Amino acid sequence: MVKRLSEMPEVEAHHLRRIECPTLDDTPALPGKPLAQRRVALISTAGLHRRGDRPFRPGDGSYRVIPAETPARDLVMSHISVNFDRTGFQQDHNVAFPIDRLRELVEEGVIGSMASMHYSFMGAFPPDAAEPHAQHLAGLLKQDAVDAALLVPV
Amino acid sequence: MGALGHFLERQGIPTASISLVREHTETIRPPRALWVTFELGRPLGIPDDPDFQRRVLRATAELLERTDGPLIADYPEEIAEEADFTGWACPINLAPQATDTLAAEIDRLATWHDQSVARTGRTTIGVSGLDMPAAGALLSTALTGNLPPAQALKEAIDDLRAYYLEAASAFPDPGTAKKRKAWLWDETLFGKALLDLQPRLAASADPQHRILGNLTLIPATERHRLAKS
Repeated sequence: MVKRLSEMPEVEAHHLRRIECPTLDDTPALPGKPLAQRRVALISTAGLHRRGDRPFRPGDGSYRVIPAETPARDLVMSHISVNFDRTGFQQDHNVAFPIDRLRELVEEGVIGSMASMHYSFMGAFPPDAAEPHAQHLAGLLKQDAVDAALLVPV
Repeated sequence: MGALGHFLERQGIPTASISLVREHTETIRPPRALWVTFELGRPLGIPDDPDFQRRVLRATAELLERTDGPLIADYPEEIAEEADFTGWACPINLAPQATDTLAAEIDRLATWHDQSVARTGRTTIGVSGLDMPAAGALLSTALTGNLPPAQALKEAIDDLRAYYLEAASAFPDPGTAKKRKAWLWDETLFGKALLDLQPRLAASADPQHRILGNLTLIPATERHRLAKS
């Protein structure tokens, strides 16, 4: 169990403290439809992609497309960091990329529908490198009639 | 992660994030975040526990209906550390021996990796495009001859890391994930090879080699081994 950095083993806390986090002006949280009417996309920063897609590289702020019907056996992870657990993902992809859980929440009627495409960035990006890709992605999400994104780190 | 929340929401896409490191999220201040106390790498908490994962995802999604951001909600469920079985031992002797080789070790694990694939129906190997003997050969080349390009080496090593840990998950008494990761560093020639490779990469004139050697080869939790090796 991970708590505050002050409660973690020092070597791990030290590593996490060294990661530079950007400070951005607050972004207003947009209003929207009730959850049961929204079309939702998953956006991971675990460096996931289909086997055969371009692996991520240091400084890479781009994203990879993961179609909703992608079989779990086709998913690989090329995040550059070695400082997080991968055995959970090896055992069950949903622990990092909860595509089956999203599908179930749609079936239960909690969420309106799921996007046809989902996405992964590789979290160790400098924000400047990712921003243009994210702006481009927002346009594609709108084309897919997506009106909410769930952002899942690793 | 949090930066994406800003970028997408500014373009009109409402977002809700899971947060694994509360201090980072407090700095970045994305529009909506659900803080969880789970291990890094496991944002939904527990593998093969759909009910638990669904509760986490639902709690994240429900934040979408709030407009009082930037907000960080605390997820109420915590996970106790996985039970640690004492007396965990490998079913076969994988301890480094003078007569053994990395290639032999990789070959010996193949049957266990096959077991893992048969059980889970998948493998996460396949970033490098190499088979495991070839990935091992690339690592051996890096140790004895010229360093291959950093990206190719990184991809081969990450595939090998997945291969070893997936194989170990199929051992008769696989123990906890923590034990299996300790096994990789304590008992395998592969772990030793990575520790031996680090100073070569760190001393390279190629900055990509130095990034690999200094940042993306040895986990922070294992770097204390470098002084010893």
